[in-house]
Amino acid sequence: MPLKTGERDRCATGLEGLDTILYGGIPRSNTVLLTGSCGTGKTSLALEFLIHGAQKGENSLFVSVTENSEKLLANIIPYKFFDKSLIKSGRLVFVDLPIMYERLGMTKAELSMEEIDLLVAAISDLVTELGTKRLVIDSITSVCYKLKTSEKIRDFILKLGKSLSDLNCTTILVGEVSAESTSYSSFGVEEAIADGIVLMANMERRGDLLRTLQVIKMRGTMHSRAKYVLDLTPMGVLLVPLLKGGSTA
Amino acid sequence: MNFTSIGIPALDEQLGGGIQKGSTVLVMGTPGSGTEFFAKQFASAGQEAVTYFTSTERDEDVLGVMREYGWRTDLKIVNVGTKYYESVLAKKLEVSRFRQEGITLGDIRRFRNEDSAKEENFLTFLSYEISKLAPPFRVVINSLDFFLENYESPEVLMAMRTIKAHTQHSESVTLMTMLKGVHDSRIQSSIEDLADVILELEHDKQGSEFKKFIIVQKVRNRPVMVGIIPTTFDKTGIKLG
Repeated sequence: MPLKTGERDRCATGLEGLDTILYGGIPRSNTVLLTGSCGTGKTSLALEFLIHGAQKGENSLFVSVTENSEKLLANIIPYKFFDKSLIKSGRLVFVDLPIMYERLGMTKAELSMEEIDLLVAAISDLVTELGTKRLVIDSITSVCYKLKTSEKIRDFILKLGKSLSDLNCTTILVGEVSAESTSYSSFGVEEAIADGIVLMANMERRGDLLRTLQVIKMRGTMHSRAKYVLDLTPMGVLLVPLLKGGSTA
Repeated sequence: MNFTSIGIPALDEQLGGGIQKGSTVLVMGTPGSGTEFFAKQFASAGQEAVTYFTSTERDEDVLGVMREYGWRTDLKIVNVGTKYYESVLAKKLEVSRFRQEGITLGDIRRFRNEDSAKEENFLTFLSYEISKLAPPFRVVINSLDFFLENYESPEVLMAMRTIKAHTQHSESVTLMTMLKGVHDSRIQSSIEDLADVILELEHDKQGSEFKKFIIVQKVRNRPVMVGIIPTTFDKTGIKLG
């Protein structure tokens, strides 16, 4: 049974292992950076977070930045618990950010400060309209490429985080880093302003490529900082503690 | 020699029979000097099929003048100005509405690719439309100023070179108008350089009235034709003397 710390309402991710690590879930209205190199399972984990939320009746929104969301849906892991009616009923909504860029006339390579405010407002408006309680932006790194400077990235994430937090929305920002990176984020700024960081990685062990997950930081709760091995299965994400002894890794 | 009319018979005479087929004509002047009017008189002449590109007038304005002077009205008008309004300005208006009022899920769902806020390149459009014309053609571009305001000078120059080459190769004629003294001198010189014939329309205040002139600034390979010709306007159009 997950321990309740009592002070803050939790947004249970529905991923059993992760909720255990977080003593019950992500403190509600936190903005969490879910970061890792490619193929580490970030999008799958984020999707599962939304699906579990939608099933519990929390409106969930997936904002796709790089991939067309229809394509993404076609490639979705055939989760046993995934039910297409969640999309029909509007509990789970997919939106392509590039369309929002187009609507707002943000076709230039770099956004101005004014446009950042507009983008934050547009996302917040959408969250208000849909009554979204769980939001995923995949990936925040792609948005950052349109912001260019660290001042703008800082400004964007701070304002977005504040606005979503006021709307009581729990947010996962998916970040991409290269496998060799020592930083948790591509621009080095995102990690400093997020309320939490969950790091996903690949690890080679005895010829196997393992996926790992580690909660680096999470404001508002105690959490384990241990590295877990993650397995993507049709039943969802499975997490087991990484055995430290006996291996050559 | 293989000539076609410039639209004013007396000017044709002065030019030794008209303008050579394959020529690109540049008509320059300050605002109010009559370049647009000249363009229409040019469109009224010749045996070629006429395509009239306009960025400043409505179709009915062009046709109204043609009718008023009893000129041909069978010209094809391509209204770059209207197209610009529809695809750029109307979208800018829509964008400002979304920026002001916000976007709903419905606005996102209704988005189709053709709603893209990316601007169509009208310079490419112009070159493409001209490239499709069956020779011999008579083209009017009124005015170059629209393109010079919206695109980088080298791009405009490249497009004009293409159009000039196509005009030359197909033994057709193209006339373009341009305001004098508003663009930087380098681009103006480059465009003057590619034109085969340059006419400048001028008016001069003398006493209580305007004296008008056509300055024949350049006729390629026939420098003897260069000169200043006084003009008047009457109900038949521009006249010499």
